[in-house]
Amino acid sequence: MVGLRWLVQTLVTLGTNAYLLFPFGSVIYQGPLKAVCHPGLNCYSCPAALLSCPVGAVQNFVASLRYTMPGGLPHLGTMVIGYLGFIGTLVGRLPCGWLCPFGFIQDLLHKVPLPKFSLWPPLRWVKYGVLVVLVLILPAVLVDKAGLGQPWFCKLLCPAGTLEGALPLIFLKPSLWATLTFYFWNKMIILVLIIIFAMLISRPFCRMLCPLGAFYSLFMRMTLVQLEFIEGNCVGCESCVRSCPTGVVPYEDPSSWECILCLRCLDACQFRALSFGIRRPLPTPAKRYETAD
Amino acid sequence: MPKKALWLIILFTLLFVLGINTGDLEYLLNLGNTICLSCIGVG
Repeated sequence: MVGLRWLVQTLVTLGTNAYLLFPFGSVIYQGPLKAVCHPGLNCYSCPAALLSCPVGAVQNFVASLRYTMPGGLPHLGTMVIGYLGFIGTLVGRLPCGWLCPFGFIQDLLHKVPLPKFSLWPPLRWVKYGVLVVLVLILPAVLVDKAGLGQPWFCKLLCPAGTLEGALPLIFLKPSLWATLTFYFWNKMIILVLIIIFAMLISRPFCRMLCPLGAFYSLFMRMTLVQLEFIEGNCVGCESCVRSCPTGVVPYEDPSSWECILCLRCLDACQFRALSFGIRRPLPTPAKRYETAD
Repeated sequence: MPKKALWLIILFTLLFVLGINTGDLEYLLNLGNTICLSCIGVG
């Protein structure tokens, strides 16, 4: 399973960033595939990106809501919400573990042989704040005179944008150097910190800051597929806990909001105490008939 | 299939179709075809 996941991550990352004509034509890909969002975090300003970024798309829809209202047909972005919600309901955070290019980059960085540390658990709540404040509230509230907001997550925080978008574009267009502002240097510092942390802690961005992971995690208790714990087979060896990259304890909470369904615990468990499949409906409690005295 | 998941799938499919019919697709295409200045830290 681990080998299969590496293969899928590699193919998805390369396959969705396969526009190799950028040095010869327009700087970024401008074809019809840009109408489709990537299921993971992948900057659409990356010169090789074929798909749009879902977080960038949501922010831009929210940011332009007031601007498009006077035209009578405001763009609510329901297409992207429906698309992400559909994925979330089907498979929850599985795209984080299998399809996200920035998650894959963090997995590669964690291979660097350095001492490893665990993440302080309360920090995982920060990503919900990022989702609500930077993706939903600020783009809707902080608007200019025309009623147009800004994608504040992209502007202030997104390290994928800096790594996949800003750095290659500056390399391709050196004239951009003169236009860089505080926001670029702020994001560069964040990117460097994320790279350092990713070498020491497994998936720090996904666990602490990613608004897309936060959105998908809301569905983890009701996804169509799930990780299931079979109590009778468990011998308490905790190999599943040691193998988990996001600090989940699968035997306590197999549908944890933090689980990215990478299925490493399935490989680690030699006693088949964990399985992965379609969620079964909870058994309906038997009706109680009360008898009158 | 759990009922809650089924209802959510129906809801999100309807939202997706609604978005396509209100021009979200063209909007997203226009958006994706321009360099995001916020992503690269310009402006």
